[in-house]
Amino acid sequence: MIESVVVAGAGQTAAVAARTLRRRGFDGRITLVGAEHDAPYQRPPLSKEYLAGEQDRDELSLLTPDWCECNGVELRLGAAAAAIRPAERSLELADGTTVRGDAVLIATGGRPRRPPGLDGDRVRYLRTIADADRLRAELRPGARVVVVGAGFIGCEVASAAIDRGAHVTIVEQAGRPLGHVLGDPMGDVMAAMLRANGVDLRTGEKVERYAETASGAVLTTAGGTSLEADVVVVGAGMVPNVEPVTGAGIDTAGGIPVDAYCRTGVDGVYAAGDVARQWQPRLGRHVRAEHFDNANAQGMAAAKNILGLNTPHTAPPWFWSDQFGHGVQHAGHADGTDRLVVRGRVEDFDFIAFYLSGDVLRAAFAIDRGGDLAIARQLIACDAALASDVLRDEDADLTDLFDALS
Amino acid sequence: MEQQTGEWVQAAPLAEVRRRKRLAVTVEGRRIALFLVGDDVYALDDVCVHKQRSLSKGAVLNGRVICPGHQWVFDPATGRVEGRDECQPSHAVRVEDGVVYVDPRRRDPE
Repeated sequence: MIESVVVAGAGQTAAVAARTLRRRGFDGRITLVGAEHDAPYQRPPLSKEYLAGEQDRDELSLLTPDWCECNGVELRLGAAAAAIRPAERSLELADGTTVRGDAVLIATGGRPRRPPGLDGDRVRYLRTIADADRLRAELRPGARVVVVGAGFIGCEVASAAIDRGAHVTIVEQAGRPLGHVLGDPMGDVMAAMLRANGVDLRTGEKVERYAETASGAVLTTAGGTSLEADVVVVGAGMVPNVEPVTGAGIDTAGGIPVDAYCRTGVDGVYAAGDVARQWQPRLGRHVRAEHFDNANAQGMAAAKNILGLNTPHTAPPWFWSDQFGHGVQHAGHADGTDRLVVRGRVEDFDFIAFYLSGDVLRAAFAIDRGGDLAIARQLIACDAALASDVLRDEDADLTDLFDALS
Repeated sequence: MEQQTGEWVQAAPLAEVRRRKRLAVTVEGRRIALFLVGDDVYALDDVCVHKQRSLSKGAVLNGRVICPGHQWVFDPATGRVEGRDECQPSHAVRVEDGVVYVDPRRRDPE
């Protein structure tokens, strides 16, 4: 019988887990332990509407102090989880206190990866609301902004900066943005979209030297290009916060491995969200995902499984990115697929691309085709075998394809 | 789906809703999305309560409406959002002689 749950972390995953526990009738003690001082808030807008100044702080709230009080959820904020003691099912905090729980959920998320050599007063990372507040004030009209890394955070920051009238250069080591996720052809589409919207995109360029003077930062690339900036934003990925479970008998290389039920293998200890590496049966390996939907779905699954409701999370991953007025979405794993079929007009940034292994749909990528992508998600989830000419045909309704299968 | 107080406005030919399955119409200045679910027609405000995307550009799947912007899932009859507290305004619909009529006033949430 589970009478208390302690969650290491107070972000999206933790908030969803707490809500799910209460919705499912759990009336025991729930404690969320968060390193930040802010009550749980949404992170996706921090690189989008909030950064662009179109959204207020209170719109980001996930669990208000009122809700927590009414629902008996204790928030221990500004209190990082330091170590988990699996035998006692307890969590030791950085302040030396201990919180016990019949179940422990590790949802500590991650922190920005900091490439060596990129240190200085003008260097910014984006993870927390405090980071976003600081950067937001610096994205002024005419500001010279250099973004290091053309991942989703880098592209979204570029979009917000352009919105606010800044000049934006992106430096990306790889040959194209997001090629490792989307493959080369769709990476090239992302590059075209950045350039069409006024971003000076430098691919195949690595920052080799970084220096600051009184008038700005100077980045020198391996190719010898010199870039001046008022502010430098580094979007070089994330490091999972696995430290609290180090030494607890749980593997922590590249995230905490969990099964479809978010179980770590140590009895009573679960992990979910950015910090977790979940088993993906379609790929035959553990994968760590750093997206909102993953945080939600795993947080929900972990909570249900803590309550003994046996709920595997097996849906293919899905994420969105809003940039330059376009809705960009991706579902599934493009990795290892051998065919790409496009419906729509790539040059107008109005299309969906299907990734297939043989005839089986494994992933999809869409710009401004969220309706089609919703159906593609379902088709991916049921390993649908589909003909290329039908996928390509704008007049063939994807809903009919799905209905024909189910 | 009974009319509450009765103010029906002609919105679209039923044949067009059947053919396109999702259709945006403007009724008395209000953008309304019509959806064909099975054999029934439902009406929700077209502009999503979440981030103002157009629901008529979304999808109808397993009897539910999915927003193209961020994949929020709506009950077409009530406008309720799956797993959230928000609610999309919904409208009463009447089909007569091959014409879809909509009550442009928001239906009272249940």
